[in-house]
Amino acid sequence: MLENFIDFLSNGENLLFIIFSMLVIVGAVFLINLQRVVHMVIALATTFISLAGLYVMLDAEFLAFVQVLIYAGAMTILMIFGIMMTKHEKQNEEPKRALHNVLLLVGSIGFFIILYLAIQDAVFPIQEFTSNEENTKMIGIELFTWHVIPFELVSVLLTVAFIGAIIVAKREED
Amino acid sequence: MALLQNILWAAFLLVVVLGFVTYAIYFERKVIGWIQLRKGPNRVGPLGLFQTVADVLKLLIKEDTIPNKADRFLFILAPVITFVPAFVVLATIPYTADWQFADLNVGLLYYFALSSISTIGILLGGWASNNKYSLLGGMRSAAQMISYEVPLVMSVVGVILLSGSLSLNTIVEGQAGGFWNWNFLPQIVGFIIFIIAAVSELNRTPFDLPEAESELVAGYHVEYSGFRFAFFMLAEYVYVYAIAALTTILFLGGWHSPLPFLDFIPGIIWFILKFSSIVFFLFWIRATLPRIRVDHLMSLGWKVLLPLALVNIFVTTIIIEIFK
Repeated sequence: MLENFIDFLSNGENLLFIIFSMLVIVGAVFLINLQRVVHMVIALATTFISLAGLYVMLDAEFLAFVQVLIYAGAMTILMIFGIMMTKHEKQNEEPKRALHNVLLLVGSIGFFIILYLAIQDAVFPIQEFTSNEENTKMIGIELFTWHVIPFELVSVLLTVAFIGAIIVAKREED
Repeated sequence: MALLQNILWAAFLLVVVLGFVTYAIYFERKVIGWIQLRKGPNRVGPLGLFQTVADVLKLLIKEDTIPNKADRFLFILAPVITFVPAFVVLATIPYTADWQFADLNVGLLYYFALSSISTIGILLGGWASNNKYSLLGGMRSAAQMISYEVPLVMSVVGVILLSGSLSLNTIVEGQAGGFWNWNFLPQIVGFIIFIIAAVSELNRTPFDLPEAESELVAGYHVEYSGFRFAFFMLAEYVYVYAIAALTTILFLGGWHSPLPFLDFIPGIIWFILKFSSIVFFLFWIRATLPRIRVDHLMSLGWKVLLPLALVNIFVTTIIIEIFK
C-alpha cells in the first residue's frame, strides 16, 4: 500500500498532478466556505487556473491557455459585480443545527464509500495516446469542418443572449 | 542539472529585466525632460545615472505600511498576482532564432492569457486597500484593460493568418528578407490598432485614467508604499518591456535586418534597436499627448478599434484566399 504511494509520488508528473488537483479541490472548497464575495472569486480563480495546469499536463496547451484567457477576464468581471452589487460587510453566519451536521456527515461518508467502491471496481480501458504537436491546428480544422454547424449555432445563440442583455438593461434605464 | 541551468537562466533574465526597468525609468525622465526643455535627473551620479537606483533603494528601505481597515491577506497578495504574470510572459519571447526560453506552439496565446491575470491583481489591490480612490482606480483599470484586450487580441489575428502559426518563433521566421516582408506593411491597420490598444493596456498616457492623479490621488495603489508599491511599478515597466518585444516580433520582423545586405550584423543587435525605438516611441507619446476623457476612452475602444479590427481580419482572410 505504502510502496504504491511512494512509487506514485516519486514521478515528477504525478507530483505535479497531485499539486494541481489539490489546488482545484481546495479552491472549490474555499469558494463554498468563505464569507466575502471577493475572497470567493479568488478561490474560484485558483480552481480555474489550476485546471489550466492540468490541461497543460495532458498536452492540451491550446485548451489550457484559452481557459486562462477566458476565465481571467470572467473573474475580473465577476469581482466587479461582486463589489458593486453585494454588501461590503461580512454576513452573519446562520446558527448551526446539530442534526443537520450529523446528516451531512452521514451523507458525505456514504457518498465517499460509494465512490471508493466504484473506483476500485472500475476498469479503465487504456488507449495508446500520441500527443500531436499541431493540436491547435487540428482543433481549428475539426471545428470548422465537421462541427461547423453546432459551432455557428452556439455563436448565434451567444450573440442573441448578448443583445438581449443589452436590451433588458436599456429598458430599465428608461 | 538541466533544471538548475533553467533556473540560472531565469535568474539572468530577471537581472536583465531589472536593469532594463531601472534605466527605462531614467531614460523616460530624461526624454520627457528634454521634450519639455528641462534637464531631467542630473544630480545622483554622472548625468544622474544613479537616480533610479537611489529611488528604488528609498522604496525598499521605506516603512512598510498596511492600513488598519484593509483586507490584510489580499492587500499582500495583490502585488504578487500583478507582478508574477508580467515576468512569466517573457518566457516565450524569442530574441534571436535560437535564443528563446520556451518555444511554445501557442506562444502568442500564452502571452495574452497570462497577461490578463494581472488585471485581477490590480482590481484586488484597489479593493483590498479599502479606500474609495483606489477602488475607483482599480475599477477603471479593470474596465479599460478588459475593453482594450479585445481589439488587442483581434489586431494580431491578421498576423496569425499571414504566418499560419501561434508560435512567436515561426511568426518571425515568416518575415525574413528585408523590411518589405515585415508584417507592419500588409497589416498596417492591425499594427496601428495594436499600438493604440497596447498603450492602453499598459495604462500609459494618453490612456492613464486609472492613475489620473488629478482626479484619483494616485489610482489603485494609493495605499501602497515601500516595496509593495515598487512591485506594482515594476510590473508596469516589465509590461513595457514585454509589449515592446512583442511588437518587434509580430510587426517589425524580430531579429531580421531591414535590408538583406545588412545581414552581417547579428540579429540580437537588430532586435535591441527595434525594441529600443518602440520604448522611445512610448515615452515620446507620453510627453506629447494629453489624457483622454473616460467616456471617449470606452467609445474609442468599442466603436472604433473593435470594428476596425474585425474588418481587418475579414479583408486579410479574403486577400489570403484570393492570392493563395
